Amino acid sequence: MSEKKSYTRQDVMNKVKSLASDFWNGKPHEERRLGDLYVDKTGLYKHREWRGFKDTMYYFNMIWLYNYGHMISDIMKYGGGLKGPILFARGVWRYRWLGQSYLPVMHWFDRGLEGMRGEGLKASAWHYRAMVSETIRQFMRMLQADQNLGGDPEIWKKTLAHDETVWGGIFYPWRDRMDDVPLQMIPYFVTCHVNNHVVLNYIDAAQSIGLPGDPCPMCQAEAGIFILDDVPDYFPAVVTSNEACDGSVGTSVLQDWMMNKPLFAMPQPMQFDDPLVQEHCAREIEECWKFIEEQTGEKFNCEELVKHLERQNELQRFEWEKWEVAANTDYYPINGVSQALYRIYQSQDGDRDIWHETDARVKKILEKCVENKINSYPLTRHRVIAWSCAPLYYSHWCTWAYNCWGLNCIINMDSLMFDMTIRTDSYENMLQDMALYHEWAPMRRMAVGGMHHIFELWEYMERFHCDMVMMYDQLQCKGMQGVHGLFEDEFRARNIHAIWMPHALPDKRTVSRSEIRSIVNDYMTTIMHEEPLDPTLLEFDDSEGW
Amino acid sequence: MRALLKTLKILFFLCTGLYIILFIVFFFDLDGKALFYGVEPFLSNHYDRMKRKDPLEKIYSTDTPNYEYND
Ligand code: SF4
Repeated sequence: MSEKKSYTRQDVMNKVKSLASDFWNGKPHEERRLGDLYVDKTGLYKHREWRGFKDTMYYFNMIWLYNYGHMISDIMKYGGGLKGPILFARGVWRYRWLGQSYLPVMHWFDRGLEGMRGEGLKASAWHYRAMVSETIRQFMRMLQADQNLGGDPEIWKKTLAHDETVWGGIFYPWRDRMDDVPLQMIPYFVTCHVNNHVVLNYIDAAQSIGLPGDPCPMCQAEAGIFILDDVPDYFPAVVTSNEACDGSVGTSVLQDWMMNKPLFAMPQPMQFDDPLVQEHCAREIEECWKFIEEQTGEKFNCEELVKHLERQNELQRFEWEKWEVAANTDYYPINGVSQALYRIYQSQDGDRDIWHETDARVKKILEKCVENKINSYPLTRHRVIAWSCAPLYYSHWCTWAYNCWGLNCIINMDSLMFDMTIRTDSYENMLQDMALYHEWAPMRRMAVGGMHHIFELWEYMERFHCDMVMMYDQLQCKGMQGVHGLFEDEFRARNIHAIWMPHALPDKRTVSRSEIRSIVNDYMTTIMHEEPLDPTLLEFDDSEGW
Repeated sequence: MRALLKTLKILFFLCTGLYIILFIVFFFDLDGKALFYGVEPFLSNHYDRMKRKDPLEKIYSTDTPNYEYND
């Protein structure tokens, strides 16, 4: 009897110790059971994860509270003080993409940062914070100028619109007097990541007027925003492109019809390695500048252009530093989804203060991780490179894949496309480099830019020491579907483990997140013969989630 | 002095109370639940019912204004 009592006491002691350790440090990775936290179907949490005292408090204070607070203060900062929240509320009431996707922003953080701890959590969250801040800056500028909401005509005159795939750098010469806001970066691109329900309305709208359902859903959705009259009237003139592919040309035709405003079409050439094409592209940039001068009456300012290009080069140099650490050490703290989204957003948007502020913070964390040899992903089993066009409704698959299988997505194609700085030593060099940067646009350089570029995968795989490929398989991307077989052959010939991830860019109805997970699960069990790190993450239903 | 101390004490308790309430909202994902079950359906209904211009009624003109830059 007494023996049993002492055993029980010991048992209690152990339990208390383990509870205390869980409270202070959080559970070890394999015991977390993150899948048990979900409310069925919704992706909501029964309760948010307890990450240990320090990390939970960091998440609560420096991510949740901090970002909710800044989501209000940024609206005031970029919306003209106290008028900002009123303007914002009117915008929410008028535009679906704004109201429905702005509010669940913190859940977007949650999904991307699940299971993360320490420096990795901090560095990744700063990337998210920067994207939210830049998003607020952009939509507050739209709303201030928006003639649908009775916006200021002076601000309207000084705001240019452009396709999200036209690099913001084209407008640097006017950044001291005017601003440029991409048409689709927030209404389409950002909303897909934050709340995937929104974009479905726009895809359906495109098909509702008799357009076929088989083109790329990105192009359909970008047209659908106009068809549903959900675009603020914030600009006197617009610059469009054919980016990434023919579907976008169709979108531009519809946009031109529905905007009925002066439009400059600046298509990026497909075969951009040709020096003659390069020359043509450089001249086209100059023509675009002439168009802007004529439409706005504002003169081209070369000094302003050089200033911003040099600042952009600073961003690129830090990006190279990050790649260096990611490629050659285990101490890179930024997770796959933060790396991918921040980089594509920043490199496409161009020079903005928030990227510099964020890079300064991240640099400190990066240096600390390298100096102190902090591995934020200690259970990495495979170093993964993600290639081709990514699923926007499941950009956080990398977070799931690490938590469930130890698949650590080190780098992705979209991060790598703008692998260059821009010379500013002479006007001609600058223009040539700007043309190249413009040509290396999202999905163009590697996805539909020719065999040589799409097969750059092998070089980057080696450079980043990756042993596995997550091969995105956009089912409605005609260009990438055309090279499917070639990749299959190469993977076999090179003996590379590659998981094909089917998806339909923004449209979760074609391939759901849970189908994507089951494909990865099948590969990991049947081909790799591995056991999951957290079995509760193998199967769960988040079909109605954001 | 005493009044100041009392005010500070009340402020302290108010702030602590608010902080604890916010932590409960955070931990039990009450913000997510309120947005998912309440705000989003409400807003979505509102957007569905909104009157919108019919884009097909617009005439597609390509001749005005004139902006050619091919010289
Ligand atoms: S996913 Fe493919 S089809 Fe769609 S825009 Fe990109 S390159 Fe074009």
